Formats: sequence, C-alpha cells, structure tokens
Amino acid sequence: MAEALAVRNLSRRFGGLRAVQDLSFSVQEGETVALIGPNGAGKTTSFNLITGYYRPDTGSVAAFGRELVGLRPHDICAHGLARTFQVARPFGKMTVLANVMTGALLRDRSLDGARERAAQVIDFVGLSAKQHAPARDLTTIDQRRLELARALATQPRLLLLDEVMAGLNPTEIDQAVALVAKLAQRGLTIVIVEHVMRAIMAVATHIVVLDHGQKIAEGNPQEVVANQDVIRAYLGTGYAHAEPVGDARC
Amino acid sequence: MRHELLGRSGLWLGAAAAVTLVLPLVSSSFAIDIYIRVLLFAFIGVAWNLMGGYAKQLSLGHAAYFGLGAYTSTILQIRFDISPWIGMLAGGVVAMLASLPIGALCFRLRGPYFAIATIATAQVLMLLFLKFRDFAWGAEGTTIPNLGDAPLMMQFDGKAPYYYIALALLAIGLLITYAIERSWMGYYLVAVGEDEDAAEAIGVDALRMKRNIYLISAFLTALAGTFYVQYIYFIDPNVAFSFNISVEAALVSIVGGIGTLWGPVVGTVLLEPTSALLQSWLGSGRGGVQLTIYSLILIAVILYQPAGLIGVLTDIATRFAPGRQARAKEAPLDG
Ligand SMILES: Nc1ncnc2c1ncn2[C@@H]1O[C@H](COP(=O)(O)OP(=O)(O)OP(=O)(O)O)[C@@H](O)[C@H]1O
Ligand SMILES: [Mg+2]
Repeated sequence: MAEALAVRNLSRRFGGLRAVQDLSFSVQEGETVALIGPNGAGKTTSFNLITGYYRPDTGSVAAFGRELVGLRPHDICAHGLARTFQVARPFGKMTVLANVMTGALLRDRSLDGARERAAQVIDFVGLSAKQHAPARDLTTIDQRRLELARALATQPRLLLLDEVMAGLNPTEIDQAVALVAKLAQRGLTIVIVEHVMRAIMAVATHIVVLDHGQKIAEGNPQEVVANQDVIRAYLGTGYAHAEPVGDARC
Repeated sequence: MRHELLGRSGLWLGAAAAVTLVLPLVSSSFAIDIYIRVLLFAFIGVAWNLMGGYAKQLSLGHAAYFGLGAYTSTILQIRFDISPWIGMLAGGVVAMLASLPIGALCFRLRGPYFAIATIATAQVLMLLFLKFRDFAWGAEGTTIPNLGDAPLMMQFDGKAPYYYIALALLAIGLLITYAIERSWMGYYLVAVGEDEDAAEAIGVDALRMKRNIYLISAFLTALAGTFYVQYIYFIDPNVAFSFNISVEAALVSIVGGIGTLWGPVVGTVLLEPTSALLQSWLGSGRGGVQLTIYSLILIAVILYQPAGLIGVLTDIATRFAPGRQARAKEAPLDG
C-alpha cells in the first residue's frame, strides 16, 4: 500500500497557544483514519495546516509523494485533497446544483460535463430533490450534505471531513456512516474528524488521538478505546468496556 | 411552454432593439445627449459589474481606468497624431497594465478596506496628472482639436454617430458578460464573491480570478474614458478621474441589480435621466444635491430591495403571471 498522506513534526502556535505540537501520522491509500480528541485539541487546525489555510511553523506535509507546505489551498485541492469545513460554507445565492457544479468544474471546464458530474454526486448524498433550491435556504444538515457533495465533485483522492455528523440524529448518523463507508469501499482515502464515537468505530481503520495539540495515542479502534490516556483525556471512564455507542462529548 | 416563452421574449428583445436603433433619428439633440449618457454609464456599469457584481470586489476607484483610457488616447492624438480609435485600444491596454499592481495591492484587503484602497488609487492618479504639466497639460487640461466631420479620428458632426458608438460599446460589454456568465468563469467568479476560502477549497484560484476579471473590467472602463473625452472635446484630471465616475459605476449596478446581466442597464435607465433632469432644473454646480439624491436612492435599495430593481421587475412579472414559477434562474446561479 502506498502512502497517501504523511504528516511530519507539524507545529503551529497562535500567540502563546500551541494549537498543534510536533504532530506526525501517516495515512495509507484506501484507509479511513479518524482524528479524534476533545474540543480545542487541534483537529481543525491540523486540517487547516494540511490543506494550506495555515502555514505551519515547522514540519512538513506530503500527499501522494508531493510536499504541500507552501502551496495554496486551490493547488492542494487540484492535487487531489478535498476538505469540508466544520461550519458548512455554501455559496449561498447559488443553487445546490450550481454549488456542486463549481466543484466539478475543476476537472472539466465544460458546463455540460460539470452538470452531469454534479447531478451524480448530488444524487449520491441524497439532495436531488433540492437541487434547484438556493443553498442559503437549506437546513444546516442539508448544507453539510452539500458541502460533502461539492468536495466530492472535485474528484479527490483524499477526502478530509471535519465533523460532518455533528448535530445529526441517530438515523441521520446511520445514513452518513453508510455514505462514508460507501466512499471508502470505492477506494477513496479518508481522514475524518468526528466526536460521534459510534460513527468512528463503524468507519475508521485507524485512529489518531489528539489532546492539547499533541498526539497522545494511535492505533486500531480497539486498541485506542482501551488506551488509558485516551480514556482519561477524552472518552471518560466507563467507555472502555461499554459498547461503542453514543457521543463522547455528552 | 418554454419555446413559447423564448419566442415571446425574443419578440420583446427585437422590438427593443428596433426602438434603440431608430431613437436618435427621431429625437432632439438634448434627448440624444441624455441617451448617450445612459448608454455610456450603462456600459461603465457593466464593466464595473463584472468585478463588483459577480466577484463582489466592490471597487470605488474605476475612475482610475476611465481616466487612463481618456488620457492615453488624448495624448496619442494630440502629441503623436494617432487616431483615437487606436488610442482607445491603447488606453485599454494601459488600464490593464495599471490594474495589475493596483490589484496586487488592493486584493489583499477585503470588504470596505478594498473599496477604500481603490478610491485612493484613483485619487493618486488624479494628483499625478495634475502634476504632469508639460506632458499632460496639468490642472488646466486641454480641449481636443475639433476636426469637423472626421470619422477616422472619432469625430462627427451630429450626435447620432456618438450614440451608435456608445450603443456598440454597451453591446460589447453585455456580450462579454453573457459569455462569462455562461462559462466556468461565471461560476468561479460568483464562488469567489460568495466565499473566497470555500472557493479555494474546491480548487478555485481566487487571486487569479480576481486579477483576470479586473483586467477585463479595467480594459472596458478605459474604452468608456476615451469615448467620453472625444464626445465632450475636453479633458482635465477632474473630468478624467472624477470620483463621480467611480460612484456611478457602482451605483447603477447596485440599484439595478448587482451581479446580473441587465442590472447596470436598468439602474442607469432610472438614474441617469433623473440626474440629467435634476441638473437642468437646478442648474449645474449643484453637485451636492445630485449626490444626496443618489445616496438616498442607494440607501433605499440596500434596505428594501438588495436584489436591485431587477428583483422588483421579476417579482412583478411573477405576480402578473400566476401559475408560472418565477423564471428559472440561469447560469451561474443555477445549472
Ligand atoms: N486562527 C486562530 N487564531 C487563534 N487561535 C486559534 C485559531 N484557530 C484555532 N485556534 C485555537 O487553537 C486551538 C485548537 O483549535 P481547533 O479548532 O483546531 O480545535 P478542534 O480540535 O478542531 O476543536 P473542536 O472539536 O471544538 O472543533 C483552540 O484553542 C483554538 O482556540
Ligand atoms: Mg474543530
């Protein structure tokens, strides 16, 4: 298996705050890696460092053999990394279709081609009924679906998902898990940030745990939920022996 | 249904085009002058709207390009005897070149800071041209030598030819806008206007998009500058780099409907005759009154109809045609 993403000794401070400290992990092609940890642990900051929104103070990020530090976000997307934002950022006055077409236009500048590609992705995330609705009229949950569709439309090799399941009810979480599983099955490499442990356990092949900007554990899901440091910092006691259900934040 | 609609709007467009073409033949000189100003400002609005409307980079400094166009063609004509037709294109190129450093400076700023920075660029150019006494006639400006009826030098006896030139410019601006709207660029521009960071995340090079549309917008605005000084036979820094030009370019687009093909045209048709009539009633030299009225109209639009007059017209059309959905949105807002 080839390496899709290699994060090496990544650090970033904000003033006196070490948001990410000396973080290293790697993602193999075809894997689904979960990045978990308490609020403020540095998960979103890591995404921003990987995708070019923040410049790291030190460290390197390589994806599919190419160094990413110094590239702008659009270059990184063109290189095959697509991300979602923790708070969805749709293009409000565009319809769902136009939003997703804009993503598809990266690989195909013709509107007809982009429209066709967009329609497939919109169908995949289950938004077909609303494709002509302006994005600003969507519910938060549909805006997240749209965000996912727009990212997928760029035909990524590596998908970074930042809390796409926050605020969903159990049925919706099942649907979202099924979507992620289907993407993984198709061979897409995924890095997922999520607080919903049930979802993590269902999709992750590997888990990296962050706390105060540092990696405190990593391994396969069973190892990680049994790890004493992880339980102390994040999951809380009582988790290790219980069934992996529920939201660790609750 | 769709064909019937197309047919009907085609008919309307044909009728409007016919009226537009015949208008100068049946109008007084005073009226033609107003029409020319309407066409010219609609064109400047269209040029502004490409960048200000679609990509939401609210420039208040488009006078910079208007003035560069005006000065380039005038200097070429008076100093080097080069036809303003060529000078017009040269002015467009000068404006494009100037937009690169100006853009590099201003695009780092967002929102109101961007607008203020663009105001400064136009003002700086005005000050420079006030200083260029030997080369560009300084504060006194210059009249453009009247050669009588000399079409090759963009000079004509009556007003009708100017009308048709302004009409052609507007048509070119609208065609360019139409073509951009219906291509990937339209989607990318609106995406940048809506959320630059989110656009970058899906592979849009936001800086490059802004720079490219600024080039086009500056080029077109410069054409208007050349045309205007040829029409009034006079240039000085206050005419060429007038803050009013910058404001009107933005105003007609915002009032008419920002980021829409016809918005600047609709806005100008309302605002320009109003201001011309006001001026003839109140006499000139009452710029303050005009600016006040413009400000009031702008505030009203922003408060009550952010989509502009185009939005009002669409609402009315929907109300009077029950059972028919509001006309389906088109590229780049929908598929
Ligand atoms: N642009 C910024 N400027 C200053 N501080 C920041 C910035 N971005 C993040 N931080 C801080 O860095 C720390 C890590 O934030 P981050 O958003 O990465 O956490 P997170 O793990 O994604 O948390 P959550 O689960 O709440 O989303 C926090 O203390 C946050 O306040
Ligand atoms: Mg976060």
